[in-house]
Amino acid sequence: MKNKGIILFLTLLAAAIVVIILLDLRSNRTDLRPDNPYDIGLDQYSQVDSALIGYREVLNLSLNEKDKKGIAFGMNRLWVIGVNFIQAVSTEGAMLLKKELDKTPTSITIFKSDIYISFNDEIRRYAEDGSQLFSWPLQGDSILITGMAANDSILYTADAGKRRVLKFRTDGTLLATFDGKRETGDLHGFIIPSPYFDLAFTPDGELWVVNPGKHALENYTPEGRLRGYWNRTSAGIDGFSGCCGPAQIAVLPDGSFVTAEKGLVRIKVHQPNGDLSTVVAPPSKFPGGTHAPDLAVGDNGVIYALDFDQKIIRVFEKIKP
Amino acid sequence: MNRKNFLTNTGRWVLLGGLMYLTGSIFFKRKVSASGKYVWQIDPFKCTQCGRCATSCVRDLSAVKCVHAYSLCGYCDLCGGYFKPNTLSLNTGAENQLCPTGALKRKYIEEPFFEYTIDEELCNGCGKCVKGCTSFGNGSLHLQIRHNLCQNCNECSIARLCPSDAITRVPVETAYKIKGDFKPAIAKPQ
Repeated sequence: MKNKGIILFLTLLAAAIVVIILLDLRSNRTDLRPDNPYDIGLDQYSQVDSALIGYREVLNLSLNEKDKKGIAFGMNRLWVIGVNFIQAVSTEGAMLLKKELDKTPTSITIFKSDIYISFNDEIRRYAEDGSQLFSWPLQGDSILITGMAANDSILYTADAGKRRVLKFRTDGTLLATFDGKRETGDLHGFIIPSPYFDLAFTPDGELWVVNPGKHALENYTPEGRLRGYWNRTSAGIDGFSGCCGPAQIAVLPDGSFVTAEKGLVRIKVHQPNGDLSTVVAPPSKFPGGTHAPDLAVGDNGVIYALDFDQKIIRVFEKIKP
Repeated sequence: MNRKNFLTNTGRWVLLGGLMYLTGSIFFKRKVSASGKYVWQIDPFKCTQCGRCATSCVRDLSAVKCVHAYSLCGYCDLCGGYFKPNTLSLNTGAENQLCPTGALKRKYIEEPFFEYTIDEELCNGCGKCVKGCTSFGNGSLHLQIRHNLCQNCNECSIARLCPSDAITRVPVETAYKIKGDFKPAIAKPQ
């Protein structure tokens, strides 16, 4: 009688195990789902030959504020703007200064001790202590300044809203605008499908402007005439992919360009002639990320990337041979 | 209070709490339809383009179709939703197209802009173009359940398998979640 009970119990247990196994096979568990037959195969572009990677990530700086908008390097510290704030952070991550802003900035650049911050309707100049020194209004609708570059007397601003570059004297006088068209009859100049439009000065003072719809970097004279360009269209590591890119640029002390792309998020260094120099951060560094990091370069060539998805500043140093 | 009364009262309170939780969660989490009718719809901000919409709908050709939020489109020449990644020539050759059924059409507007439209009779809702557009473009292409095609099953066979729980019942009065008009609950950073 006792054995019968045990046999019955074991039989029921075995039946229950079989039922559980069958139910598990029919379940919707992630690891049991078949592969997506319509996968577009982006993974192959995420893999980068490790020999091409010339930088290593040495530090992550985590900031409390979530809604960051941009980053710049100047006065031996990092400057970060976000929704209604500007803050200065040491290169080790210590908070040095934080000031509230009365509205949301769109981009930041620094020349010597002058900090320029753009808003939807004005540009302001701030001092090192965060005090506002000067401002001037931006005339017109649909203006979206997404990048700026300054030297002693001139501030160039990239207006993604109107697809043009505005050239200001640093006292706010508008000196010129140019839209990337070489002559009046040209059908298009800057092509900006999404709100990413950046520009930068090289160490020898040349102005380079991204033409994202053409995957190009274009060199302009101070008067706004196209002097030269290079473009690289490729989902491979040697070029820029998708509708538009690069989304952000910065310039290294040797004149090479640091580029960041959206979609297939990656950071690379291109030589001044456009050829790929090295990879800073392959797509695998940005799992699930879609937003192009904003870039800043330190005096010693250290690259700072403001990762909007991870909400951190990532610090990359060149690997010494 | 004896043990019997204690257990009875505890049971009553637990039942009452459960009922209140159920009522509250239904009231706060689910938008109420004035007509009392609900339909299935995809939240485009949750969708991960897993391909299940093409393979799991009970209809022969899925009721899920790609739709286009033109206000978000960049009208790009190199459209990540239209062209395969790393395509060498930007023309309408089938070998260059990402769409497996040729449902996404490309039309020249003016230099350098192109308009993209969807032939719904060909679209199988696979989401390849959506993946490409979301990855490389502005995300203007997205998937929606077309209610002239959907049989509004009691249990949507796609919703059951959706890995991101992007498909839910919504009031029939707001039957579509079109990007541009419909925004995610928490805005993503620019």
